[in-house]
Amino acid sequence: MPGSENIRRVREYVVGMPSLPTTVTKVLEVCNNPKTSPIDLDNVIRLDPVLMGRVLKLINSAYYGLGTQVTSLARAIIMLGINTVKNLALSTAVVDRFSDKGAFRAINMDGFWRHSLCVGVTAKLIARRRGVDPKAVEEYFAAGLLHDVGKIPLNNALPDEYVRTMALADRERLPLFLAEKRALDLDHCEAGRVVAESWKLGGAIADAIAFHHTHESYRGDHGDVVRTVAVANYFANREGIGFSGNLFPDKPGPEVYGLLDMEKSWLEELEAPVAAEIEKAKVFLKLTH
Amino acid sequence: MFSLTIWGDRGSMPTPGPDTVLFGGNTSCLEIRANGRLVIVDAGSGIRQLGDKLMREDIKKGPIDADIFVTHTHWDHIMGFPMFTPIYVPGTKLRIHGPITYEEDTLDKIFGAQLSYRYWPVRQEELGAKIEYEQIKETTMDLGGGLTVQTKYLNHPILCLGYRFEFEGKSIVTAYDTEPFRNVFPTDPADPQYDADAAREGEEAAREENEKLLRFYRGADILVHDTQYTAKEYVASKVGWGHSSFEYAVNAAHRTGVKRLLLFHHDPNRSDAELQELEIFYQERVRGKTALELEMAREGRTYIA
Repeated sequence: MPGSENIRRVREYVVGMPSLPTTVTKVLEVCNNPKTSPIDLDNVIRLDPVLMGRVLKLINSAYYGLGTQVTSLARAIIMLGINTVKNLALSTAVVDRFSDKGAFRAINMDGFWRHSLCVGVTAKLIARRRGVDPKAVEEYFAAGLLHDVGKIPLNNALPDEYVRTMALADRERLPLFLAEKRALDLDHCEAGRVVAESWKLGGAIADAIAFHHTHESYRGDHGDVVRTVAVANYFANREGIGFSGNLFPDKPGPEVYGLLDMEKSWLEELEAPVAAEIEKAKVFLKLTH
Repeated sequence: MFSLTIWGDRGSMPTPGPDTVLFGGNTSCLEIRANGRLVIVDAGSGIRQLGDKLMREDIKKGPIDADIFVTHTHWDHIMGFPMFTPIYVPGTKLRIHGPITYEEDTLDKIFGAQLSYRYWPVRQEELGAKIEYEQIKETTMDLGGGLTVQTKYLNHPILCLGYRFEFEGKSIVTAYDTEPFRNVFPTDPADPQYDADAAREGEEAAREENEKLLRFYRGADILVHDTQYTAKEYVASKVGWGHSSFEYAVNAAHRTGVKRLLLFHHDPNRSDAELQELEIFYQERVRGKTALELEMAREGRTYIA
């Protein structure tokens, strides 16, 4: 069964999964600076799904058994202290051991980073517009930022297979997750589930990772977050902000907007603020492209 | 009987010399006895003399069997371990519990690093004692014989636990090294680093954690609290260093109905004369206003809960 062998390789990769190459320089700069402000630390971690996931893992494993899942980075920094979070970020921000410059990857990690950030920001803006409790809005951001995290191990631990998967999606005009299932017997939602388990993420974030392509059949407790991430994902793909490998994205049906009690037209108004947030992140990371 | 003996109360670094005779110069080590059970909190330099006492007295009754709870792994809290004689004695059983900062590190490696040839002539592998290490988090543990311990994260630049031991309806609580939780994010919208979400979340997190701390102290028969600084020193230059002021500890103990407060983790630069003066100052300040009894922790002194 290729699926089980692929899952094994994914699991192996996830243990030492490095942060994204797009953010690594800034992470090292911020975390090696003894005078780093808490807000810079917050900013740099929230720009990287891997760092964000691992910091959430730490805070939640530390508080394991106490009931509530902490999804806010600001809270993690206050509870664990800036040094702990800085050191954790430093230990994650290593150069990818698989990053052989000559090797070809299906998904460019810069484009992936931009897509992830766009979905996080969009999910958060939709939640705000819907009047979600400000305390819960951060969870929407984290869920959006992390929704495609399963693609990182697929892209890096199964590089050749993933290139072939993309070619299949392209040839047959398939949404990427369906092509993954066919070619790898493992889609990025399942790979993401492995990541979420490894990071001990539960609740809305884990469900958004696992169900953002199958939200219509989702019956769990976090429908609002899962559906918001699905809509934000569609928006990012439609606008072509970043690229996460999905050339033929699935489109959420009109009932999704109804369930979220939102207008589809809100998305048009989000273009400017989302672009502004991404621009801000680019300036912070000193990206020139 | 439920008692506490102080073997080390000095912060940061041992401070031997004529100026630290009265309150002591050894770093953190507490001996807690719950009838026959022995619990040690921290393995600072004070643990050497506790070890010597155990070898003189307890060993006659049988091998040493103890739980050591480490508040955190900063050096002044673990440095005495290589000189804790029972670790060289076959038959000794130690269970060492404590927090670690990352999951990649292990408590035995952090402790064991001190027992390696580059620092010490004996390696951890060569010790006579049977030692088990356990990484702990916020939790409650039943230590048997009616003794329980509850742990709470404190606010220090490394993961650090406070311990609340309970036995026969009495409680001994440790809260060091720590300072009150605070919002580290700017709250002034004019600040260039201002972020409304972080500011709000930070306020709320700090408030909630401080409330949890107060609940942790509530009704303690003995509270051993970090008081490295005066409020004036703290505000002037020590915010974020992970230590509390006398004022904070006294207020918190009073508000939570603590019976006896031991002012602990004395600044290494504080002489006996200064500590005495501060002790009288704070005792006078609360006289007649609270049922709380307070005093500077003194090395060698035993308190009954």
